[in-house]
Parts: sequence; C-alpha cells; structure tokens
Amino acid sequence: MTKRRKWTAIPGLLALAAGAVMLSAYSGASTSQKSSPVQPIAFPHPVHVQKLGMNCLYCHNAANKSMDPGLPAVSTCIGCHNLIGPDRPASDLGPARKSAELAKLYKFADVAGVGAGMGPNAKPIPWVRIHKVPEYVHFPHTRHVNAGVTCQTCHGQIQKMDRVYQFASLNMGWCVSCHVNGYSAKEGLEAAGYETVPGSTPAAQGAATPAAVPAADRKKARYDCANCHY
Amino acid sequence: MTAPTAITNMTQDIKKPGVKRREFLKVLGLSTTAIAATACSEDAGHLIPYLVSPDQTVPGVSTYYASTCRECSAACGLIVETRDGRAIKIEGNPDHPLNHGALCARGQSALQGLYNPDRFRMPMVNEGGTWKAITWEDALNRLSAGLASAKTSGKAGGTVFMNQHESGTFPRFLDTWLGSLGMPAHLSVDFEADSAAIEANQRSYGVAWPFLSFKDADLIVSFSADFLDGWGANVPQQLDFADARAKLGDAPAFVYVGPRRSLTGLNADSWIACKPGGELVVANALLGKGSVDQAVTDAGLDPKNAAALKKLATLVAASKHILAVSGVRGDNALDVALAAAELNKAHGAVGTTIKPAQPLLGFEGIAHTDQVLAAVEKMRSGAVGVAFVRGVNPAHALPKAANFADAFSKVGFKVSFTSFPDETSELCDLIIPDLHSLESWGDAEPIRGTIGLMQPTMDPVFKTNSRITVMAPSTADVLIQVAKKDAATAPKFPAADYRSMLIAAFPGGAAGLDAALPKGIVAGNLPNRAPRAAAPGKSTAGAMGTGDLTLITYVSPLLGDGRGANKPWLQELPDPVTKICWSTWVEIHPETAVRLGIDRGDILEVKTAAGSVKAPAFPYLGVHKDTIAIPIGQGHRSKGATPTFNPMHQDKNQVQWGYGRYSRNLGVNVLDLIPVGTDAGGGLILTATKASVTKTGDHETLPSTEGSARQHGRGIAQAINVEDLNRPAGGDEKAEESLPGDASHAFLPGLRSPVAADAQGDFGAPTAENHGKDKGLYDPNDIRGMAKRRWAMTVDLARCTGCSACVTACNAENNIPTVGAYWQNATIWADQVPGRNIARGREMNWIRLERYFEGNPDAKFGEDFEARFIPMMCQHCGNAPCEPVCPVYATYHSPDGLNVQVYNRCVGTRYCSNNCPYKVRYFNWFGYGEEGRKQYAFPEPLNWQLNPDVTVRGKGVMEKCSFCVQRIREAENRAALEHRDVQPDEFTVACAQGCPSRAITFGDAADPNWTVAQQIGDKRAYHVFEELNTYTAVVYLKKVNHLASAVTAPRA
Repeated sequence: MTKRRKWTAIPGLLALAAGAVMLSAYSGASTSQKSSPVQPIAFPHPVHVQKLGMNCLYCHNAANKSMDPGLPAVSTCIGCHNLIGPDRPASDLGPARKSAELAKLYKFADVAGVGAGMGPNAKPIPWVRIHKVPEYVHFPHTRHVNAGVTCQTCHGQIQKMDRVYQFASLNMGWCVSCHVNGYSAKEGLEAAGYETVPGSTPAAQGAATPAAVPAADRKKARYDCANCHY
Repeated sequence: MTAPTAITNMTQDIKKPGVKRREFLKVLGLSTTAIAATACSEDAGHLIPYLVSPDQTVPGVSTYYASTCRECSAACGLIVETRDGRAIKIEGNPDHPLNHGALCARGQSALQGLYNPDRFRMPMVNEGGTWKAITWEDALNRLSAGLASAKTSGKAGGTVFMNQHESGTFPRFLDTWLGSLGMPAHLSVDFEADSAAIEANQRSYGVAWPFLSFKDADLIVSFSADFLDGWGANVPQQLDFADARAKLGDAPAFVYVGPRRSLTGLNADSWIACKPGGELVVANALLGKGSVDQAVTDAGLDPKNAAALKKLATLVAASKHILAVSGVRGDNALDVALAAAELNKAHGAVGTTIKPAQPLLGFEGIAHTDQVLAAVEKMRSGAVGVAFVRGVNPAHALPKAANFADAFSKVGFKVSFTSFPDETSELCDLIIPDLHSLESWGDAEPIRGTIGLMQPTMDPVFKTNSRITVMAPSTADVLIQVAKKDAATAPKFPAADYRSMLIAAFPGGAAGLDAALPKGIVAGNLPNRAPRAAAPGKSTAGAMGTGDLTLITYVSPLLGDGRGANKPWLQELPDPVTKICWSTWVEIHPETAVRLGIDRGDILEVKTAAGSVKAPAFPYLGVHKDTIAIPIGQGHRSKGATPTFNPMHQDKNQVQWGYGRYSRNLGVNVLDLIPVGTDAGGGLILTATKASVTKTGDHETLPSTEGSARQHGRGIAQAINVEDLNRPAGGDEKAEESLPGDASHAFLPGLRSPVAADAQGDFGAPTAENHGKDKGLYDPNDIRGMAKRRWAMTVDLARCTGCSACVTACNAENNIPTVGAYWQNATIWADQVPGRNIARGREMNWIRLERYFEGNPDAKFGEDFEARFIPMMCQHCGNAPCEPVCPVYATYHSPDGLNVQVYNRCVGTRYCSNNCPYKVRYFNWFGYGEEGRKQYAFPEPLNWQLNPDVTVRGKGVMEKCSFCVQRIREAENRAALEHRDVQPDEFTVACAQGCPSRAITFGDAADPNWTVAQQIGDKRAYHVFEELNTYTAVVYLKKVNHLASAVTAPRA
C-alpha cells in the first residue's frame, strides 16, 4: 500500500467505524451502560448496605409508593451523620482516619461539628444522575418494587459498588424481554446476590437466563406500548 | 503504527499530491465529531435532593389542596393538584356547595395567571417615566411616605381604592385599614357584573343574587341573560341548567328573548329576536300589559317571529314555576329586570326556582359602574391625593370616552397592587405586585351558610430573593406592615400578618382552620357586608349617536371584561359561539352583510359617536338584522411604544406593558366605541350605541376552528324531538332515519365485549371461536387482564351546553401547547399575525367543541334556527382507519380499547390524520414543546404547569386524545398496590371531571357496573359516522329539542 493510498483509506475506515457506532445504537447496546460518573461525595453503598445492613428504602423512601424512587434529603444523611463525623475512630470498618467525604457532607450541610444541626447555608448535594429513561417513558418504581422485583435486578449489585455505575442497558428490548419472558423471584434473589438454594454459591451477575426457571413459574407483565409510552 | 512513525510518514507525505495531512486532519476531526455525537451518552443531568423533606409529600405523588377560585365573583371551590411543590392542575371541589366539582374554563386557567411569564417579579417604581425594580423594603417605605404626605396635605379623605370585587374578610379588612388612615371605604369593582340585575334582585327578593334553580322550573325565559356565558355564577347555573335538561321529557322549555343569540341563546329551544331594548315590550306583553301583536312591531321582531312569541305567551300563561331572568344592558335594563321579577312572582317562581334564602353572597356589595365613574370625575377634579388599584383595570374596562387616563394623571400618588403589567398599572407611580390567589391566604362567601377557604398551594413563584427569608408578601400583608410602621395605626393591627389575623378570627383558631382546610369549606357566616350604595334610579344615557345599526357589546364568556386575555389557554380556546380565537370580530346578520356587500373576514370600520375601530366581519345568524355585535375583552395596548419582545431571547426584566405578550395588540377594545352612560341600576350601557359600518377593502382569514357551520346531512350532532322520546325502540329498521327513537345500536355488542373482538376484526359478540387463544394481551382471559376492559365514553348532548370548559381541562391535563401567538408562526414566512396557525388549520386542542346550525338554510332573518354542540375528540375506533396506514406502527389498538399514539415511534408522515374521518389528530408542525425554539409554548415559568405524567411532544410528531391514558394507568397502579381491581367509576378523565354540565361519562363499557356501560344502551345513543364501521368507543346521546320549531330534521 502506497502512502498516498493509505491517507485516502483511513478516512474511509473511520467513516465505516462511525457508521458501525451508529448502527450499534440500534443493536441493543446502550451508550450509557457502565457509565460511572464521579459523584460530588463518594458515597459508599457497600458500607451502608452490606456492613450496616440498611434497607434501600431507608434512603430511597418513595421507591415503593411513587413513580419516583426518591433521593434522601440532606437532613436524612445528617440524621445519622450528625453523630458520625469526619473523624473516624478505629472500628470494624477500618483503622482510625479522617473521612474526606464526610467532611464534604458537613460542608454541604453546613454542619459545624459533631452534634450540631444543619446550618443556614446548607446546600443540596448535586448528585450526578446515572439512570435515566427518556421523557416519553413512564417507569413506575412502585409497581416493580411491590411486585417483588429486587432492586438489583435492574440496578445491579449496588451493595458491592464502590462507585455506582449503570448496570443495565435500560433499552426498550431489555425492558420488554423481562415483561414478555417474565420475572422469577429466584432469579431476582440471585441477581441481588442471595443464595437461593442453601449452600449453593450465588450466581454471577447477569448469569441467570430466562430458561433457568420454567415459564409457568415466571411472573409476566404487560408489554403493550401504552403501558409506558404516553 | 507507533506515533513517531506516523509523524515521519506525514512529513514525508506532505509534499506529494493526493490527500494532504491537513485535509486528513480535517476529515479526521469531522469523523471523530460524528462518532462523539452518536457514541457519547446524553448527559443525564443532576439529581438535587431536598434539604429537609417536606412532611406529607412523596416525590412523584400529587398532593391536593382545597382553595377558592378568584377568577370571577362567584367564588367556586377548587382542588389544586400539586406535584413536587408546584401546582399543575386546578379542578373543582366536589364538596363545594356551589360548583360540586365542576369548573369553567376561566377558573381552570387561573394556573396561567399564577405562572404567567409577564407577572411582575419585583415591586416597581416609575421615576420620571422610566420604570425601575426596587426592593420590597424600599417599596414599603415609598408607600408609607406617600400615605404620610397625603395625610399632611389633607387629601386623605379623597382617596380612591379600587379593588377587584371579592367576598370574604379582605374587603372588611381593607376598609378598616383605609379607615385607620382617615380614608373612605374602597370601591369593590367588577366590570362584568350586571348592575341592573343585582338592583332588581335586591328590590324584588332582598338579595343581590338568589340561587337560580333551573331544574325546578317548567319554563325558562331569558331576556338577554347569558347565564351560561358568565352572567352571574357561571358554574352553578350551568350545572343546574344541565340537570334541568337531563330531565328530557319533563325538562323545561327554554325561550331566549334578545337581539343576540349568545351561547345561552344557542342553548334555547326558541329565539325571539327583538331589537336591543325590545325585551321590555316583550316582557310587558307576557305580563299582560300590552298585546302580543303590538309587541311584535314595537320590539322590532320579524313578522315570522310572531307565532313564536304567541307560543311563548301561552307557555307563560300555563307556567306554574317559571324562571325568568334578565341580563339586558341597555338604558331600560332595570325596567326589564323588574318586569322579569314580576313575571317570576306571578308564576310561582319565588321559593321554587328563585331561592332568596340561598343567596350567592359573592355578588353582594359590588359597586355600580356609576360610582366608579363618579370616582373618575373626582380624580379629574384634583381632589384625590392617593389612588390605589388592585386587580382591576379601569383604563381598559371603562369606555375610552370616560378618559380614565387623563383623570388618573391628576392624582398625586398612584399605587397598583396588580400582578400584571396592565394598562392601569402602567399609569401608576408605584407597583407592589400582589400574590396570586393560589399563593395566598384568604376566604370567601360563596353561598349563605358556607365559608370558602383560600390557602397557598405552593410557595410564591417569584420569590423576592433566595437570600431573604421573608417571602413576597400579599397585598394584605403589605398593608399590615405599612400600618405597623405608623405609631397611630399600629395598635389596630396587632396580628403579625394576614394569615394570623384570619386564624384569630376563625372559629376554633388555628386548630379549627387546620381541621377545615382539607375540605376547603366550613359552615358559618362572615359578618354582613356594608349594603351597596343606592342605585341611581334613572338612566343617564348620553348621546348614543346616529347610525343605521345598533352596536351590541357583550362581556366575553372567556376573557370576561379583559382580565382573561393574558392567559394563552383562554386566547386559544375558540369562542363558543363564533369559534374564533386570538382576535376581535364583528358579528353581523348575513342578510345585512349581503345588503352591504360584506363577506366573512372583510375588515370593517365601525364608527360611532365616540370613535371608530377596525375589525373583521363574521356573518352570524344569531344577531338581529339591525345590529352588529362585538365582544369585550381584547384590545390591550401599551401606553407608550410597544416593548420589544423576542421569544428567543427573553429579557426577564423587560416589562411587557399592554397586559403581557399574549394579549398586547390583539384585536380591538370595543369600549372605545361606547359613550359613557349608565342605566337606572348603575351599570354601563352596552347595547344602545348607534353605529355605521363601512368596508375598508382589506380582508383577513379569521382564525377560526369552524370547518363548516352546517352538517350537510352527515349526522354528526343528532337531535330528537321530545315527542319522539317515548316512541318504542327497535321498530322498523329501514325507518331509522325518520324515527329517531329507534336507534339501531348495531354497535352495542362489539362495544360491550372486551376489545379483542373488534380490534381483531371480529365484530359483534365474542364467541367461543373468536374468544381468542394465542392472542397474548388481547386474550380476555389473559392473566394480565388488559383485554378485560373496554374504555369508552358517552357524551350526553342533552346536557352539553358548548361552554368549552372540557377543552381547557384537556389542555391542562395533557400539556397541549397553544399555537396562536404571532411568534409561533412559520419561521420562513414570518408574518406577525396572531392566530395564523389556527387559520391554517393547525390548532392543537385534542377535544374541540363543534357547533352546527340547523334550519334556516337561506339565512333569513326571522326564521328560527337551532344550534347543536358536540365535543369531538378521538373516537378510539375499534376498527380505526388511522391504524393500518401508519408505516411505523406508531398508532395501534391497545388491548384495553384505546387507539394509542406512540410519540417515540411516530415519524410524522401524517397518513393517519389524512385517513381519520373525525379530524381529531393534530400534528406538531413546529417545536411547540421544545425549549429554545421560537414557537415554544411554555416559556418559563409557564412550563411549571406541565403535567409530569404526560410527554411533552416534540416537532414532527402526531398527537391526539389518549382517553387520558395516564389517568387509567395511575388508577391501575393504585389498584394493583392495594391488591384490588379498579372499581366502577373510581376515576374519570380530565374533560369529564371538569365538565360543568356533567355531559361526559368515562369508564369501562365491558363491565356493566360502570355508569358508562349503562349509558351506551340508552335509546338516544348513536355513533358519529356509524356507516363507516369504525366501531368507535365514544357514544353520543342525542340532544333533545323541546319546542318543535322550524328545525326538526331529526338527523341532519
């Protein structure tokens, strides 16, 4: 290949690559899947959920009663962190240290020190949004949570994520495959990381296939367009 | 290839012909951008949490507040839906004794007053002709200083305070405040009020406005009283009138006497078209004070009307419980009103159809226009040191001949408490904007024995400043604060603010108020208002001029005296009678129009002794041939040069004088033509001016949603004569057309069956074969239960009055953009004509009120005609013509019977609209829902009104009535969470909820426990265009005609 030809060919290849990317947008691959933005405070879900055993609904308190899962108010954080300040003594969570993240929280909430309440200059924490469906999609969290769908089925094992990322593609095909093929509690628990058969090891993330549970035992949902699009 | 190699290659390559490095880099740059544009994820934005979560609210779940409507004097009860701290919809309060859950278009549009982008954000001061925003503190200081100087100059006694009329505690509080400063009581002004009717009520029944019970009447006679157009208490009157009409065979006949057939007139069974003022002769003839034959001549009737008048005379003679109402606005207004009262007394009305024991207290204490005019003259004399206006706009609502601006300029210190940049505020020195009624505390007296409460439904839209802890105060709070500054007045106002004052006066104090607020009403009475000043008793008609025509001006049913003009919903809502929006028009009888060579849309110059205006002609059968009629409400103008307005670059500090962007320079103010004169009841004379009309030669296409005024035999709006009601159904199939009692109801089995049948092409009752297996969600036995339901609607045309409140309810619920503002026209042909999109047939209202005329095909004066109203929305056909033509399956039939439009699938071919026989599909020609476009319909903060449950549609997308699918899904979600089925009549759609006539019923036709399932079997039931086999889910019930008039074609 002469050098001249090469310079002509590369843009062509790049154009092909661009075309491939565009096509991939329709292939089911999600562009925002796996995205994991840096948050204003590196909130550790593992500590709160796994170590402390807090329920998701403690902070996301509307998830079982609203379209919107709800985000904890700053006062919810301060409710506990009023007493748990940046200076961390040695515990089963680690050696004694100063938590930079809690210092940030105190700054946002305008908390002067441990035991003090929120000050007048408290500001909301501008969390960076990760999961978003388009405006023409109406996704009721409440229906899913109350149907027993585990949070991890869609959000992945948040309890293990040091920094939350978008686990599922959130594409329509992904939604519909579950609505058509159905959901089983067993898979939901496995997705959440629980043992479903005593003694067995939890299945790997996303390993459960629809065939694993017989169709009759799966709870199917409506997949009509006007269930979500209106 | 490593990087250094590449550099070597490039340097070697650079001298050679072919693709050069620079070009390569250019291409490379472009392709990377392309990849970036497709590959890069959309920025999902930020999630901002609450600092402290408010009690009793769940994000994403609506909270409802009860309050009271302030859009007219009636004071209906409201339930305001708020989501995440913002009011998003206003509905009627079902527990309220006045409106029982219904609400008119004006009341629903209060939301657009709250979120009006042209509201004052800050207090303003006029310094040498330029306006400057100032702080609240500064404004209060200036107000105190102004009051102090009025006191020292000795002019305090001449103070004028014009307040938009309201009932409740505030008027009394205001008088106390004025009194503490040595100022006279305020003027409670309502330019829409019918002074003569109130005066006659006062004299005859002892109250300003008795409850009118139409359903107890055996005959309704209206002398130009437009009780469905806003005369009196609109919603309760309409509810009651519809209840009367729903008695079908036993319903009272309704005869309208007057020169112009308003919406009320069009609902009448018979119209006696007298000349303006001729009502008196007719009323006297009915009272036996003159012969009917003489009345025909004296009232300016066509001889052909004589039979109708004779018929009316016999009906009146036989009537035991008549309801006669007069809304005449001519110089003999009081005489007619008193004659009507006499008729009522003679025919057993008092206590049955007219209930003085249940007075509507909202109409007590309204000042006469006469008093307002006297105050204006006092200003002109220079005796007024301080003038206040609050919510009322005399510079627009008084005739130009009264020369308000000149008189007002003689006042030393002029303060406006108005929220909008209207004509009167522009003449003031200081503007201290009031809070909107949805942001403030208050109370009202809708009806004796009930107090209506008003509470803030949200924080003020325009807070003063985020750093200031005090919110923007209401006018009442401002007055209290000013009073506290002065040692002399401070002791009279011990309460910290108006709210604490109300609580202190409330029975049971704060706890009592807390208990009453959820319902929004409480039993009790407020202290009586000071009685209204005595009426002048004689008319002071000025020179009414000369001309061959009489000018009738009337209060617009939508814009009122002009206060509704800044709300785009009300501008976009077609006038119920003429179907014209965003404009002023001149109604002229077709016979007269032909005589003068005038066509529809010809620009006419209307001249009277007081002035002249130019407006397009609208030939209308319903005006007396010697009159022309022009509505009040439009014609808002800025005093100075029109402020610059660019929808793409809004300057939030630029005040949009002339009552805001949506009303400025629209149409004409017909009050420019009216000489100053008041009737004996003290009201402005509106229907006596003589006028002449000339063609200017110009022409315009009227922005009208009327396709054709005639049905051309299509049987869209059908009616049945009352005599035919009791004909046995199910007779001769072939005689269907001539026997309206025998509707075939061929559609019933299909509509009652679950949807699977007709959507799958199996029409009729479900059978074992078609009761489908393998039909997925379309299988009625499917566990997901979707096909069990068949959502359907009935519209009872006997109840529907054509008021169009359903249209506004739909606009509010479904985020429907308004498209008529001049900057929303096409970009390329950038004509600045308001309503051009509508003139081009691009209106967006998902539900429209069609109005058809029947009879009098040659448009001759004197021949009666009938009007039929029919709300037309997507019919959700079981066999829909739109569905098979969509190339992308964006529209399809859902298992629960909806014809669904999927916005994100739609590519905008418009085939569906082309194939729709009902013309109910609407296309987004421009980006009405896209911020950053010129045509954007929701400039901040108008976008706060948007319903979060409904997608805001973008450009190039088809949309249509969805049967409020979001409400269906919400009900299903709620039911699923409570482990139950959706209960019969558990919820309803927006149009049905708001309808002040209760004409619309929505529900599941497949479940016999729903009301709608019972109504579809009614013998009056029919489908529009049944012959097209569309198998619609909307069933209309025929209108019932009571007086077999000239118009009796049953199915025309």
